[in-house]
Amino acid sequence: MSYDAASARNERAASTLRQADRTFWGRLVNWSPYRAFAGLIGASPRRQFLILALFPILWVLTQHLGPMIQMVGVSFTDAYPVAAGKEQHLTLDNYARFFGDSIFWMPFFRTLFFAATFTFCTLILTYPVAYYLARHVSRKNQMLMLLLLLIPFWVGEIVRTYAIMILLGNTGAVNLLLRSIGLIDRPIPFMYTSFSMGMGIVYLTALYMLLPLYSALEKLPKSYNEAAADLGAGAWTRFRRVTLPLTIEGISSGCTLVFLIATGFYATPVLLGGPSTTVFAETIAGFFHVAGDEWPTGAAFATIMFVSALIVTVVFQRLMSALRKGDVK
Amino acid sequence: MTNLSLNRRHLLKAAAIGSVALASPAYLRRAHAAGGEVNIWTYNNFVPESFKKQFEADTGIKVNVRLVDDQGKQFNLLAAEQPNPTVDIMTVAGHRFLQFIDSDLLAPLDTGRLKNWGNINPTFSESDWSTIKDNKWGAPILSGMEVLSYNTDYVSAEEARTWDTLFSEKYANQTAYIIQDMMSIIMLKMGYDGNMVEYLDKPEEAARIVEEAKQFLIKHKPLVRKYYDGGAEIQQMFVNQDIVLGHSWNGPAAALINDGFPLDMTIPKEGSYGFVYTYNIAKNAPNADNAYLFLDAILSSPEIGAAMTKASGYISTYKDASNHLTDLEKKSTSFTDEELSTLQFFRAEANKMKYGLIDPAVEAIKAA
Repeated sequence: MSYDAASARNERAASTLRQADRTFWGRLVNWSPYRAFAGLIGASPRRQFLILALFPILWVLTQHLGPMIQMVGVSFTDAYPVAAGKEQHLTLDNYARFFGDSIFWMPFFRTLFFAATFTFCTLILTYPVAYYLARHVSRKNQMLMLLLLLIPFWVGEIVRTYAIMILLGNTGAVNLLLRSIGLIDRPIPFMYTSFSMGMGIVYLTALYMLLPLYSALEKLPKSYNEAAADLGAGAWTRFRRVTLPLTIEGISSGCTLVFLIATGFYATPVLLGGPSTTVFAETIAGFFHVAGDEWPTGAAFATIMFVSALIVTVVFQRLMSALRKGDVK
Repeated sequence: MTNLSLNRRHLLKAAAIGSVALASPAYLRRAHAAGGEVNIWTYNNFVPESFKKQFEADTGIKVNVRLVDDQGKQFNLLAAEQPNPTVDIMTVAGHRFLQFIDSDLLAPLDTGRLKNWGNINPTFSESDWSTIKDNKWGAPILSGMEVLSYNTDYVSAEEARTWDTLFSEKYANQTAYIIQDMMSIIMLKMGYDGNMVEYLDKPEEAARIVEEAKQFLIKHKPLVRKYYDGGAEIQQMFVNQDIVLGHSWNGPAAALINDGFPLDMTIPKEGSYGFVYTYNIAKNAPNADNAYLFLDAILSSPEIGAAMTKASGYISTYKDASNHLTDLEKKSTSFTDEELSTLQFFRAEANKMKYGLIDPAVEAIKAA
């Protein structure tokens, strides 16, 4: 009897396997090229890593580094695109043009200054939000709150920039409110100033700051602050001596992301900025709009901005790293 | 009041669309069912939607429109694609022809293949700028000009008769302009040739004049609210009442006037510049036959020209197109003889020298 039961079980298992063999995946697993490929991958962990990493590496090379390498290449030429009957030569003139003409320095340094200032403003504004979210909202509601904060990011940068225009215009919501409560008689000209541009950039980059901060704060055990409180530390001291130093990594990541994004913004400064807020991205775009052989100059200027932003970021990261280690008080 | 005028405009627009649809088939029915596609680079509203649908239905040719917003970008795109461009028809401003022709990007236009060439007003089709190297290079479709637009609730017609009002303390931080275009206008206002053709053999004189215009704009920089680039931007600023007057192209201003906004425009007494948009066929166009069929179709009736004016605000180059405009549309696309007497057309002969001087000056003004 028991023999019969075991035999039936084996028969059922064999039947299941036969059915599986008839499915797509079953046939794939038994397909000899697939088996050879699987054997090749599984032969060594090193090979396994290389094959699995192949697609991401190709993606990064072709989609991320490729265009940048192309841009750097173009920046060393005297003509691009090359018109019929013309020849392309290598040159450093495009870089010399930046260093030789001071009119380009103002938008360049203004961009770095604006990016640093707006990054700091974003940090100051988003830290309390991230703190509240990570420390005071129940874990059950945190995802819901994050989702709510993500809603503005469902639409594109231009639409959100126009939303700022609707808010800050002379007939915008802010001026209407101030007039309706009798605080002003004439509209305050918020638009086309460094304020409107800054507000736009802070609004557009806030999430890039918020998420690393939230991540750092969320990982911080509550017991640390409780221990500090037990030892007599006040709220400000607990924040300054415990919370802030232990979230330096989040601050560092958030600031780096926001700073790099802010240096490259184009549409927002164009739409919200004024005559005295021209940033370097607008100067660069100007070279690409002009008909003729100006693309190489635009590419050289873009390379200069890119390298400068990286240098500032590296210096900032070093500073943050030193702060983390306690080398800088 | 606004709602009433908008409704009326929509009603008139619907009537215009209907008339275009009615007018087109008479010509298009004669066209062979060619099939395939035609690729067009043009500005927003330059191909009336009703015409496009009718053309596609009658010929089987799919019309692919790619919107452009800048002549320079268009030039660079085409230069990058040659000798195998993806575009058949592009929209070049008349004063930019030379640059495209010198770079071998355009095909000469065979007007013999366009039965409706005669429907264009000869003022545009036969003018001196339209014939270069003994060839026609484009079919003029719309005409534009640099104007002073102003909100009639705040600025009087008398004040708007001079460009000086744009730089007055009275309207400080309530003005806007395109710097590159203003450089030509300022040179004209100062009594110089803004086209710089007169200084082709005098580069030092040209440099001095550009420097003078640059210094003028730098001096008046604290008074301007915004340097802008596109027509939609100045429309937005007028609607939001961020500005009350500004330099603009007539098209975007006319569109606001037709929407019932309290706006008017003028060519100030110091003068201004005009330009003509043309449809051109790209060299090595992949669908050249379809491109000619499209051009002949779009030139076939004044109603189509009027529809282009209604949609874009620019002035139609077609004979009798104004007969199909409403009184308000006629008003928004016409100027007095006194205004027109000071209007000149942009010229291309000195463009290389002119923009070689103006482009750095513009950067300097922005940086100042």
